Amino acid sequence: MAAEGRTIEKSFDELNEIIQKMDDDSLPLEDTFKLYEKGIKLVKQCNDRIDRVEKKLKVIENGRKIEDE
Amino acid sequence: MASVYSVGQVNSYIKNMFTQDFMLTRISVKGEVSNCKYHSSGHIYFSLKDKDGVISCVMFKGNRRGLGFTMEEGQKVVVTGRIDVYERDGKYQLYATGVELDGIGDLYSKFEKKKQELEEMGMFADEYKKPIPKYALKVGIVTAKTGAAIQDIINISTRRNPFVQLVLYPSLVQGAMAAPDIVNGIRCLDSMDVDVIIVGRGGGSIEDLWAFNEEIVARAIFECETPVISAVGHETDVTIADYVADRRAPTPSAAAELAVFEYERYKSDIEDVCYTMHKTVERKIHLMRSMAETLRLRVEKLSPESVIRDRRIYLDELQNRLENLIYDKLDDRKHTMAIMTERLNGLSPLKRISGGYAYVSSNKGAVTDIDMLNKGDEISIYIKNGIAKANVVEISRNKTESL
Repeated sequence: MAAEGRTIEKSFDELNEIIQKMDDDSLPLEDTFKLYEKGIKLVKQCNDRIDRVEKKLKVIENGRKIEDE
Repeated sequence: MASVYSVGQVNSYIKNMFTQDFMLTRISVKGEVSNCKYHSSGHIYFSLKDKDGVISCVMFKGNRRGLGFTMEEGQKVVVTGRIDVYERDGKYQLYATGVELDGIGDLYSKFEKKKQELEEMGMFADEYKKPIPKYALKVGIVTAKTGAAIQDIINISTRRNPFVQLVLYPSLVQGAMAAPDIVNGIRCLDSMDVDVIIVGRGGGSIEDLWAFNEEIVARAIFECETPVISAVGHETDVTIADYVADRRAPTPSAAAELAVFEYERYKSDIEDVCYTMHKTVERKIHLMRSMAETLRLRVEKLSPESVIRDRRIYLDELQNRLENLIYDKLDDRKHTMAIMTERLNGLSPLKRISGGYAYVSSNKGAVTDIDMLNKGDEISIYIKNGIAKANVVEISRNKTESL
């Protein structure tokens, strides 16, 4: 099972948390900036995980070998 | 000789006997299909036979809904309908309203039994259902290599997100070997790096879909660690696999929609997140700025410089007030003076001069005695509306001292 899929979901959860924290007026500006940096990094990670190469169907032959259709 | 009847009368009589027979008006007959002809009119003509005999059957176009599969020679079927007479040929036949494959009844009861059995084992329980990942990047598929199902899945998936990797385990989906093949497919994909597995096939009869009711398939889905979406047949077809899967999709297309996230949507979600973060930081900076500004104003107000400036302003005010007081007083006095001057003017003797009287003065002042004047003196004569200068030409004293 691929870890990446879950991580994008997790990243989104984390991003929402970050935004919620950032929205707190009592949070120091410096911490807000730190959160912002973290958020942008997460966004980048999310985008990196989806490698934007069009993928064709892979077909499993004899249970192992994989060929592109 | 007994009565003689026409053919029509006899056939009509027999037809009437058939129609009045309660059993013949609704009957199910079991047999093997033979001489099956799908007529261009839409009606289907066939015969049912068994080792003891044959009966002709017809299914009218309007009753075709009662037939869920394509009839073929040799199929064992159960035909439901009424037996009636076709008067023109003097033939009785079975007018079919429904045809089912024989053994189907068995399959249904087998299905119900299996379903109940597995349900009691808890295999359909919600607590075992794994969530379908929202952002799967690799999607495994167990279905036939050819057919509508895989095409639908490929079309929907690439339309939604061409960057998601589809991995197909080409499997038999029908027949005796289908179930073990499906099981292999599920296990094979589960051992690979996929985020979700779609197991399914296109529509078909209950027999066609039977592999998805087999216990080994149900168990393989249940034991699979990767979340499984079942996609068997059409909306109305429900199999054991559907009950045990983590999520049931009504069709293979719907399964692809569940498994593959929309890239465009994802992109706009990410943009929204970035926008919100930007806005939050901006808002906070703005807030900090205005707080700093408020504090600056407060501090400034308390600074010595500010105190001194305030005093100075106060002093200026005091000075103004003082000066105003003085000017007011002065003005007051000036006013009084003006009034007095006016009054004094009113008392001036010149004002009283009129009717030819005048006032005479010389360099010695007002001339009140003729003796004050000598010949040649320059005098001023004040008349009501002017002054005349004159020289004394002659002086003559009055004889009497006074008038």
